[in-house]
Amino acid sequence: MTTTTTTTTRRRSGDRVRWWTYALLILAAFTCLFPLYWMFVVATTDTATATRLPPEILPGGNFFRLAGLVFSTVPFVQSIINSLIVAGVIGAGQAVLCALAGFAFAKLRFRGRDVLLLVVVLTMTVPTQLAIVPQYMIVSWLNWTDTLQALIVPGLANAFGIFWMRQHISSAISDEILQAARIDGASTWQIFWRIVFPLVRPAAFVLGLLGFVTAWNDFLWPFVVLKSPEMYTVQIAIKALQNSFNIDLGLAMSGSFLATLPLLVLFAFVGRRMVAGIMDGAFKG
Amino acid sequence: MAPYAYIAPFFVIFAVFGLLPLLFTFYVALYDWNPIGDHLFIGLDNFARLLADARFWNAARNTLSIWLLSTVPQLLGALLLAHLLNHVRLRFALLFRMSMLVPYITSVAATAIVFSQMFDRDYGLLNWLLGLAGIGPIDFIQSVWGSHVLIAVMVTWRWFGYTTLLYLASLQAVPRGIYEAAAVDGAGNWRQFVHISLPSLRPVIVFTVVTSTIYGLQIFTEPLLISKGTQTCGPVRQCQTLTFFLYEQAFGQFRFGYGSAIGVALFVMVVVLAGINYFLSTRIRPERP
Amino acid sequence: MKFRNVSTVAVAVAAALTMAACSGTSGGTSSAGSDGKSFEFWSFTGINQKQSVTQYQQKKPDVQVKLTEVGNAQETAQALTTALAGGKVPDLVLIQGDDLPKFVQQPQNFVDLRTLGADKMKGDYLDWVISQAVTKDGTIIGIPTDVGGMAIAYRTDLFKAAGLPTDREEVAKLWPTWDAFIETGKKYTAATDKAFIDNAATGVFSQVVNQGSEKYYDPAGNAVYDRSPQVKLAFDLGIKAVTAGITAKQSSFTDGWSAAMKKGDYAAVAAPSWMLGSIRDNAPDTKGKWDIATIPGGAGNWGGSYLAIPARAKNPKAAWDYIATNLSPQGLLEHFLDAGSLPPTPSVYKDPKLTSVKDPFFSDAPIGTIYTDSLLGLKPFLIGPDSVAIGTEFLNAITNVEQGKGDPAKAWDAALANIKTAIGG
Repeated sequence: MTTTTTTTTRRRSGDRVRWWTYALLILAAFTCLFPLYWMFVVATTDTATATRLPPEILPGGNFFRLAGLVFSTVPFVQSIINSLIVAGVIGAGQAVLCALAGFAFAKLRFRGRDVLLLVVVLTMTVPTQLAIVPQYMIVSWLNWTDTLQALIVPGLANAFGIFWMRQHISSAISDEILQAARIDGASTWQIFWRIVFPLVRPAAFVLGLLGFVTAWNDFLWPFVVLKSPEMYTVQIAIKALQNSFNIDLGLAMSGSFLATLPLLVLFAFVGRRMVAGIMDGAFKG
Repeated sequence: MAPYAYIAPFFVIFAVFGLLPLLFTFYVALYDWNPIGDHLFIGLDNFARLLADARFWNAARNTLSIWLLSTVPQLLGALLLAHLLNHVRLRFALLFRMSMLVPYITSVAATAIVFSQMFDRDYGLLNWLLGLAGIGPIDFIQSVWGSHVLIAVMVTWRWFGYTTLLYLASLQAVPRGIYEAAAVDGAGNWRQFVHISLPSLRPVIVFTVVTSTIYGLQIFTEPLLISKGTQTCGPVRQCQTLTFFLYEQAFGQFRFGYGSAIGVALFVMVVVLAGINYFLSTRIRPERP
Repeated sequence: MKFRNVSTVAVAVAAALTMAACSGTSGGTSSAGSDGKSFEFWSFTGINQKQSVTQYQQKKPDVQVKLTEVGNAQETAQALTTALAGGKVPDLVLIQGDDLPKFVQQPQNFVDLRTLGADKMKGDYLDWVISQAVTKDGTIIGIPTDVGGMAIAYRTDLFKAAGLPTDREEVAKLWPTWDAFIETGKKYTAATDKAFIDNAATGVFSQVVNQGSEKYYDPAGNAVYDRSPQVKLAFDLGIKAVTAGITAKQSSFTDGWSAAMKKGDYAAVAAPSWMLGSIRDNAPDTKGKWDIATIPGGAGNWGGSYLAIPARAKNPKAAWDYIATNLSPQGLLEHFLDAGSLPPTPSVYKDPKLTSVKDPFFSDAPIGTIYTDSLLGLKPFLIGPDSVAIGTEFLNAITNVEQGKGDPAKAWDAALANIKTAIGG
């Protein structure tokens, strides 16, 4: 343990990165990216080309024709807006709600705290979508079927997020700082907004990002709840493209690609932070 | 402000949309419950029937098999990749990390569409390649093993990058000096891995095993989408998972009571398996030198 | 700091959106009020209800129809079930014939259409078609929109290449019986080394089983699937087609089925009238290369749907007006001329407008007469609550043999055992 400080000065031959390390990593990256590339290839050709053997490996010239077909077959623009609303509110909402609850669990004392925290952790193990039938009934009682809040409100509760924020707040903020703030006359609410939240904002941001991605990609619940095309999220729009009596692979792939594109763009901007955020999670040491 | 106000939003939403439906599931499981007809109390009959139902055991077998096929390679692969990525002088490290997260942001629906095409029996890319090597064609949708492999590949593809990053984070938290010291003492790559990396990864391994168990037992969207709307997922229910069986009974056959009983059984399995996993994974200890 | 701005904006946006989303409930989503001038209509994909709605709106321009294609037929029935169980119901819903019995068994969920005037229209429809939507005490919960009829669509170019006749009369003479049909398939496969039909389950079994006078239930409602001669015959013929090696092993409406159709990897497909549109859409490049011949084994019907009005519908009158207008014999005839769905109203079968229809995609086959001929003289059989589940197990058993995994000799017993588990009998 005491040698930590003398690390970088010594260089061992074994420390050099071997070629096969790169080979394996490139293979892994290829595996991750190829299906998306292939999605794009089929999205630019027609089905006849997509099923030709040996296959066409290069994109064809039909991208805009098929994309246009996607937009005219289903209300795709509307579905992207819907998905942005749903995923955006869920992401932001989770970040705030989980920071609040995580703060309470990490730094406040109240009766039943440990029991409630245990409930939160247990909640993480409960597959709630098994109860999709009664969930649907509740949404119906609220008269929320076929609305976006039927997707948003249940999506705001994220037990994992609370656990995650609690870990971050515990480790990032010392009790002394809070004590000092209290002595200076700050209320709990002020402590949360002025001190705690700014410090854990990066973690909350990544949590919100993960919530956004999950909500954007959710399939089963929107599929059950939404009926009207103008309420569709992108995933349901993709499903609607696969007309049951007429399978047009190019169209389906084009829709899939267009549905993934916004996330790819987002990822290009925040991917670095997302990687850092996931790695900065609660499992160090 | 009372501390309870801070946790109230979560617990209210959770109570209404999580707990209440779950309790209601337990209640409905005691009924012969036609969603648009009668509700007859039948006690534990649904569970008795379930235990005698070959389709239930088939679905349980499928779920277990898909879970094993997706979890074991995923976690081992993630361990290997995390180890590789943990090199200090690795170039393009961020690029590798980011590309491994791309599957995670791709939706299951899109994944299912592209993978079923690539794995198609007659017109798929993979079978064409296998054909060049003189193998196949393998029917990845209609055969038992084929469909399990296809679903497991989709699940693994989606999650292994994420898992790798979690492992990598834990590895990076280990002070490099410990490795250096071990190297000086003559410990090779493998022994460093077993004695230093693995123990420090224990908490995150426990976490990933438990979450992948929970996720694995709920696999539903993948088989639904590759089986093109058939409720049985193929002629011999070869890729029908427990959640899919639940869906078929509740929404296909309108047997909400029976479907709920499957849900309860699944719930029990999740809790038991997650418990066993937790117990086993915490046992990973460095072996004696 | 960068983060500060991002998350502040995010929180503000979230709050604004939540409010927008919540306030949307009152006004935005209930575009179909209960003023009798608008109604909500759930249909399924692939059967071109849009055309039918357009046709209606030309006649009633002041009525607003909010059409939703929920998913495929099965998904639409599931959505309807969940909606009936406690959600927002549509005013009008399309239900596929196979899914209908489950709803007929629970008639309290639907408007008895007799209260709106259905008893006057009842006589217009083929008796065995409308009777499926009538409960024992006479409640009418649905009005039929179309029937399938039966025929075989085949590729003339591929037949020619295999040395088979191409003229539809001569082709029909090749297969007076299903055994002859399978023999023809063997000849085709021997000559071309390619599959003759898409699959044995729907291609043969589903056809034969729908040609009898008794299917899975006897007229009294008892399940007789294990002893009905027609079911056994259909099953044996299905297995025979498999062992003859004439199938492409492509289940209907899958990616492979669609791709194989485009490529001409099978030469014939069992084609009720609603299948024609599917062939047209799936393989547009094969225009003119198809023709349609009489099906072996005589008259029969595969498929057909019904319109129903849920009991809690807000606009039952507006929905009923749609039914009364579009499902009248004249309305159905117009829809046939536009979209090709076969009317369930025999009074128009002799109408020259129907008999003179020729379809250029299918080498100018007289589709009006081919399909109506397959329907006349048909006797009704009872469709029971578990008909779908029973049929699924039979189809699965045949497909399993076709995939090379099931033993043909044991398939029948295996299917019966699976049915017992499935229907809990």
